[in-house]
Amino acid sequence: MKHLPKHLQPRWRYLAVEIETWPDAEFERGAFQRDLWYAAQNLYGDVGSAETDLTVLSFDLDGGDGETIVRAYRGTEDRARAALATVDAVDGTPVGLRVRGISGTVRACEERYLNGRTGRGKQRDVVFENEPHPAVVRGTRVDVEGTDGFAGATRLDFE
Amino acid sequence: MYEAVHAHPDGQSTAARFATTAERYGYEGVIVRADDADPDYERLREDLAADVVDAAEIVAADPQHASGAVGNARTKHTLVFVCGGTNALNRFAVEQDRVDVLTRPFEGADGSGDGDFNHVLAKAASEHSVWIEVNLAPVLRNRGGHRVQHLEKLRRLKRLVDHYDAPYVVSANPQSHLQLRAPRGLAALGAEIGLGEEWTREGLDAWGRLIARNRERLSESFIAPGVERGRYEEDD
Repeated sequence: MKHLPKHLQPRWRYLAVEIETWPDAEFERGAFQRDLWYAAQNLYGDVGSAETDLTVLSFDLDGGDGETIVRAYRGTEDRARAALATVDAVDGTPVGLRVRGISGTVRACEERYLNGRTGRGKQRDVVFENEPHPAVVRGTRVDVEGTDGFAGATRLDFE
Repeated sequence: MYEAVHAHPDGQSTAARFATTAERYGYEGVIVRADDADPDYERLREDLAADVVDAAEIVAADPQHASGAVGNARTKHTLVFVCGGTNALNRFAVEQDRVDVLTRPFEGADGSGDGDFNHVLAKAASEHSVWIEVNLAPVLRNRGGHRVQHLEKLRRLKRLVDHYDAPYVVSANPQSHLQLRAPRGLAALGAEIGLGEEWTREGLDAWGRLIARNRERLSESFIAPGVERGRYEEDD
């Protein structure tokens, strides 16, 4: 297909989104895209979704930390933020999402806001509430594995 | 800007984890709305970059039980919240000068409440300066009919609050650090659901003013309730 003339090409904005979840979570780009589109559809319907686009471009998730780039039309960045705020789980796994920044090109977005610093944490055993539990340590963050899912803590809680 | 959170064991993350995440998200600090939680506030404030404020959230079945708990909590905590959810509890909370915030007036602690908010309560809240919490949790984490109903209630609440100039605060009621959302995200959501971006931001800012007010009252310049030691006006 022939390219559109320059002045008719859509203007995009690229949102760098930080994903945080429990260390055992594993989901792919497709699952994230589906839940993001559902969230947008539930929030402002088909018309609003079409106006905003919200295509997930690059996606990287490993060991509970991830980064992704979400594309939105220029002028709808705040609508995109709102939809992202209402994504509370992907594939049933709770996720925390934060928009690190917005750029006009994918390259600028990657260079400025993504650092590719996803990586697995270390397995440790910790004493939480007077009982030993397995835990995953990532920097100062400690996710304690309990009988009914993880609990979030920091190093400070074990000093 | 502050966020009022449910820390472990009320929620799934500890106060320290909430505070570190909130700082990254652009908040000044977190308010621990403690029911059972009892973190070491002094140490957290010393070791973390974010502020950690102690608050008690009173979850009671009826005003009689709540009343005693409010008296107990008032002397121990910087902030005292009463969780609403029934008409009786909402009424009780807005008529108490001792209460700082009426939280979750519609859905209550377990989300099954059927509380209502009307012009009488709005007027009382404004007279007794009881802040009303605009709870965005169902907007963020529910879908379908329940969310629609909650959105309707929030819009009505906004109209009442604006008309009677009642103080209000906005919160996402996070149960774990993953449920925290950045202030800009919440403001954008507020604009989308008809509360207005500025209005939502104002509600997030209001926590800070409330904390400053109460900390000043607890400071040493107040030698008795309502009696502040200060400078005399100079006579000519």
